[in-house]
Amino acid sequence: MPDIDLFNFFRYLLATIVTIYASIITFQSLYEWYVWLAGEDRYISLVRRYVIVHGLRLRFTSFWGDLLVCVLLCVVFLLVWRAHSIIGDLDRVLHG
Amino acid sequence: MADDQRKMLPGGQGTGVAQMTTAGAMPARQLQELPRDELETLAEELGLDPTRYKTLQHLVAAVHERRQMIASMDREAMLDVVKWGRRPVPVNVSKEYLAQEITRIRSMRFEGLSQRGLIALAMLRGVRVDPGDDVPTLIRRLRKQEGFFSRLNRKRRALIGSIVSNMIGEDSGDSDYQFLPPQPGSSPAAAPPPPRPGTIKEEIEDSGLIGGIAGRIKRSADTYLNQKLDEIEARIDRKLDEIDRRLAEWRDKEIANRIRILKITLWASVIVSLISLLYFYIRVTFFGR
Repeated sequence: MPDIDLFNFFRYLLATIVTIYASIITFQSLYEWYVWLAGEDRYISLVRRYVIVHGLRLRFTSFWGDLLVCVLLCVVFLLVWRAHSIIGDLDRVLHG
Repeated sequence: MADDQRKMLPGGQGTGVAQMTTAGAMPARQLQELPRDELETLAEELGLDPTRYKTLQHLVAAVHERRQMIASMDREAMLDVVKWGRRPVPVNVSKEYLAQEITRIRSMRFEGLSQRGLIALAMLRGVRVDPGDDVPTLIRRLRKQEGFFSRLNRKRRALIGSIVSNMIGEDSGDSDYQFLPPQPGSSPAAAPPPPRPGTIKEEIEDSGLIGGIAGRIKRSADTYLNQKLDEIEARIDRKLDEIDRRLAEWRDKEIANRIRILKITLWASVIVSLISLLYFYIRVTFFGR
């Protein structure tokens, strides 16, 4: 009978499902926006330029703090991931 | 660009630009190819009476001669007449267009018109002009050329104009004349321009009772419409600015919201990974693989 760690199983299962779901939703939304904004209609062209203008007028100063927190959290996540690897290596050294 | 130029002319002018430019350069041999009615219209626009010419050849010759005369006229003198007659023209139009505008001027009040302007006006009205003619002589000849019945009609119209002016109240129409904005390349339209901005009395004297009042009403309506259009435009601008401001606010809120969701997700991921790390460490340290 295979030795399955329920915690790890739940972790990997959840990560896989959530990643696939989030990726599909994100790419689907991006594709729909792309198709809509790539239209040949005169007004769509106007909207396209308007969206570009709004993008250029975006003020990063209003949410740069949150962005910084997000970046730091990503760094922490990577470090924790790396710690998992180190503990795995330690396990191999200690227990063969 | 052409549309913009037409918009400069109030009263829907701007339909005859091509006609003005091509007619101005049309040689005599092409004039003969024109239909009789078009040729007569052209002659009238140049201040000729087409009924005086029995054959087409005579009319063509008269139009050609009139064009040569116009080409030899002093441009500044013609601009003097246009200013005096308060015709709406750009300063850089051709002489032929200026001549057409001058022929539309019916006024017989020559106050304020320079001598050279009087000479130009007299030439276009078909009055004999001698080199040494002074202003009184030119005015006398112009008045004489008007004819008895025309003068009578004008006096009658002036009387009606005075009555109407007294009834509805007079406003001053003596604002400074201003040329229309210059038009590169071509001349403006040959369509009937709006009545010149004078007093109601003068307008009725020049255009008749109905024409004068209609012109005044039209101008008042134009002014009112322009004012209302300006107000509407300002309101639309304000509304667009408001929409733009709200969109910008919505955009900022939306982005802040998305980032907050992302942050919460990352926090959850980090917390779960820390728990996982702790679990992994305990398991490795105390229980082995």
